[in-house]
Amino acid sequence: MSDHRLTQTEASLNVTGADLVNIKVNGIAVKVPKGENVIEAAKRAGVDIPYFCYHPRLSKGDAANCRMCLVEVAMPRKNPDGTEVIAKMPKPQTGCTLPAAEGMEIQTETPAIARDRKGVLEFLLINHPLDCPVCDRGGECPLQNNTLFYGPETSRYIEEKRHFPKAYPLSEQVVFDRERCIHCARCTRFTEDISGDAQLGFLKRGADLEVGTYAQTSFKSKFSGNVIELCPVGALLSRTYRFKARPWDLHTQKSICSQCSNGCNIKVDYRLNSLQRINARLNEEVNEEWTCDRGKFGHEYVNSPNRLTKPLIKKDGEFVPVEWSEAYRLLAAKLKEANGNVGGIGGYRNTNEDLFVFQKFFREVLKSNHLDSRIGRYGDSITKPLFERFGYYTMGNAISELETMKTIFVLGASLADEQPILFLRVRKAWRFKGASVIHANTFDTVDTTKVSDFAAANLIYKPGTEITLLYGLLNLLLVDNTNSIEITPQMTSLMKAAGEYPLEKVAEITGLDPKEILKTAKLMATSPTAFIVGDTVTESPDYLAIMQALGDIAVATGNEKNINVPVREVNSQGALELGILPDFAPGFVSVSDPGANTHQMLTSAANGTLPMLWVLGAKLAEKYPDRELVQAALSTAFVVVSELEMTETAQYADLILPAASFAEKDGTFTNCEGRVQRIYKAFDILGDVKPDWLIFTEIASQMGTNFPYFSARDITLDLSKSVPSFTGITPKSLGDSGIRLRN
Amino acid sequence: MSLGTFLKSTIDGANALRTGFGITFRHYAEQQLKTKPVDTIQYPEERREQYPRTRWRHVLTRYDNGLEKCIGCSLCAGACPARCIYVQAAENTDEQRFSPGERYAAKYEINMLRCIFCGFCQDACPTGAIVLRKDFELSDYTREDFLYTKEMFLEAAPMETMIPASTIGAMNRENAAK
Repeated sequence: MSDHRLTQTEASLNVTGADLVNIKVNGIAVKVPKGENVIEAAKRAGVDIPYFCYHPRLSKGDAANCRMCLVEVAMPRKNPDGTEVIAKMPKPQTGCTLPAAEGMEIQTETPAIARDRKGVLEFLLINHPLDCPVCDRGGECPLQNNTLFYGPETSRYIEEKRHFPKAYPLSEQVVFDRERCIHCARCTRFTEDISGDAQLGFLKRGADLEVGTYAQTSFKSKFSGNVIELCPVGALLSRTYRFKARPWDLHTQKSICSQCSNGCNIKVDYRLNSLQRINARLNEEVNEEWTCDRGKFGHEYVNSPNRLTKPLIKKDGEFVPVEWSEAYRLLAAKLKEANGNVGGIGGYRNTNEDLFVFQKFFREVLKSNHLDSRIGRYGDSITKPLFERFGYYTMGNAISELETMKTIFVLGASLADEQPILFLRVRKAWRFKGASVIHANTFDTVDTTKVSDFAAANLIYKPGTEITLLYGLLNLLLVDNTNSIEITPQMTSLMKAAGEYPLEKVAEITGLDPKEILKTAKLMATSPTAFIVGDTVTESPDYLAIMQALGDIAVATGNEKNINVPVREVNSQGALELGILPDFAPGFVSVSDPGANTHQMLTSAANGTLPMLWVLGAKLAEKYPDRELVQAALSTAFVVVSELEMTETAQYADLILPAASFAEKDGTFTNCEGRVQRIYKAFDILGDVKPDWLIFTEIASQMGTNFPYFSARDITLDLSKSVPSFTGITPKSLGDSGIRLRN
Repeated sequence: MSLGTFLKSTIDGANALRTGFGITFRHYAEQQLKTKPVDTIQYPEERREQYPRTRWRHVLTRYDNGLEKCIGCSLCAGACPARCIYVQAAENTDEQRFSPGERYAAKYEINMLRCIFCGFCQDACPTGAIVLRKDFELSDYTREDFLYTKEMFLEAAPMETMIPASTIGAMNRENAAK
């Protein structure tokens, strides 16, 4: 039965406060938190109550519209003469809205309840078409399951059912079958409570009630894929997965989403070596049970027909497919010729295992420190200001810690785009935990899913005025001391810097309303306050100065540990931790002779002093800001590219090595908060493709050094031994939810 | 050996021959004159009638109007204990319609070497599309040839031209078949 649960939530999710009450579920005595709803309370007693509309992560008050969770309840009552009796409520109650109270006795399996459930299901099935054989939900459908367990054998309704056109396209990703909808309101509550775009709502009334978007516009949301999984029937369906397979055709493997650095836990559903769909997997610490649309629908590249299947060597400007032996022979010859003068760029999309062997190969075999995984404009300095001042890299908070914040200051980020799961946490903190959110950026997106929708203060400042804004805030906090912060001696130096930024001047320079700035300063004085910094700041030429100012504010408000500069790509964080950096070996251990960073490598490759470049899955030609430099560098040097597909960068290569995608190999990824999580090989490797760690191991052995690795597991175990920060991280200890590296 | 013994053995031998050939001649005569029923049949020229519920080679049937009954739901594959059925579904369009409704089987393959002819697929089929019929002659030369495809299973279409099913309501269907 647990496989067919409607939600992935376990009872442990609920806070076990000190306030416990004794209840009985089907005669089983159990202690539950006071006020917990009966569905969750019954789960603790091991009793499943069927339901459709209830979902613990959605607001509860609006539910109780499917009527499936009816239970019989008896409560202790005092008679006028003082004797206490257990009095049964005359009518069945909905379990999802009924809070547990002392002495409550719940019956879920009485004949009356069985009859009620039959009635509810017969009612729901009046208009639900029985086209289960062609419905994508068939086989994993809560309505199907509950009907099988609790439903009537036949229906008394012989009239014509309600009919609507099939497969109405709600958006690019979601199709909607209005006939199948049972009006549980899960999707509408999701867009209201979780994603916050409130795109779906109920139209019309009574029997004509239907879910829809306003004026039939497209369902625009960055999290629309979740409603497909939430829908307890086959009304909302994925367009990409439509008619591709039935649930029993699929095999499922646990994995981690490869689209951004948030590290959502996902389930890869595949059939015959091809990925069919992505579903969310529960991880309370990271994504809870959500995915973003980029993650859910963006994995087509795994089975793209453009995947490279054989090593390619460029001969006279044409790529010729060759065997691995020939590719290795050429590679070994060229590496010997270069004699350590080799640069390695990229790796932010590879597993920790790939990266560890990558840097080991460069540092131990080639004796080269020319390694860099950062290809942003000012990528070089990303880690510096935080580490030098506060001693941690990128994110000071865990993703789940954001919930506990009183104020969250989102600076220069289109958060829903850049860090979708952080966005959901920020929104959760605001919606369910009462946090205030401040949004500051040079622009506001026109998207429907955005922070400014629920921000208490919305600061759209003029480009380049971040420093003024931050010091203006600091001025308000310390010099004007609008919130009467206790001034410690170390703050006096900060006050000096801030003193030059009085409110009127700041308002004039940044183009903001002084009231808005005052409001922001008021909110920021509360502790804990988390800062989330995004692209506008990290791509700014003033990055270091802005981080200095932000650091000053953090110090003034006592939030030194709450600055977050999350990285962007799936394993950017892992690449930092594992020393794909010119100046640090794995575990941020300084190296004695730092190599060149990406920009320096490209410059020296362009002028011919660096004869060879190994590009590990980095989209240099597409993403590097200085396009001409990249073109010059890649056409001058001998370029090896490890890639999945023929990208623009790969076009410049002299040798292309086809790599395995995340679904075809084992390993671990490190997400933006530093959580190491496992991925598992789902299906067999296509063609002559190899995982990157194997390529490095094999070429190392060609060069005369044997690495003792036969599987990704060997490398993970070696990592836990040889990298201090990875101590204790083994495939076994990682489990399903991963372990966060200490910062 | 005495003369008496010699004669006796000769006569016994002749009797034995007569008995033996007698049986042969009698059967030959019976067969030629067809006076008695015969169990042996002359396969492959002659074929025995199969029992009505015999389960052999699968057939994907059609409606009278020529549309395929199979909707590509893959329930047969789910029911198959030998896991030998592969179904790949696709969506009908009004221009290219294979079955009534939204979905049809783009690919339908059965590995006949694995199939145990249990008929569960026939039981599971919600539209009665797949049926096991009486063609038992399934031998072939290579293993690959036993991967039967949809084209091999599909009943021959009736001679009428196809009519887009979007235009066929429940009422018109009978007219279309005529």
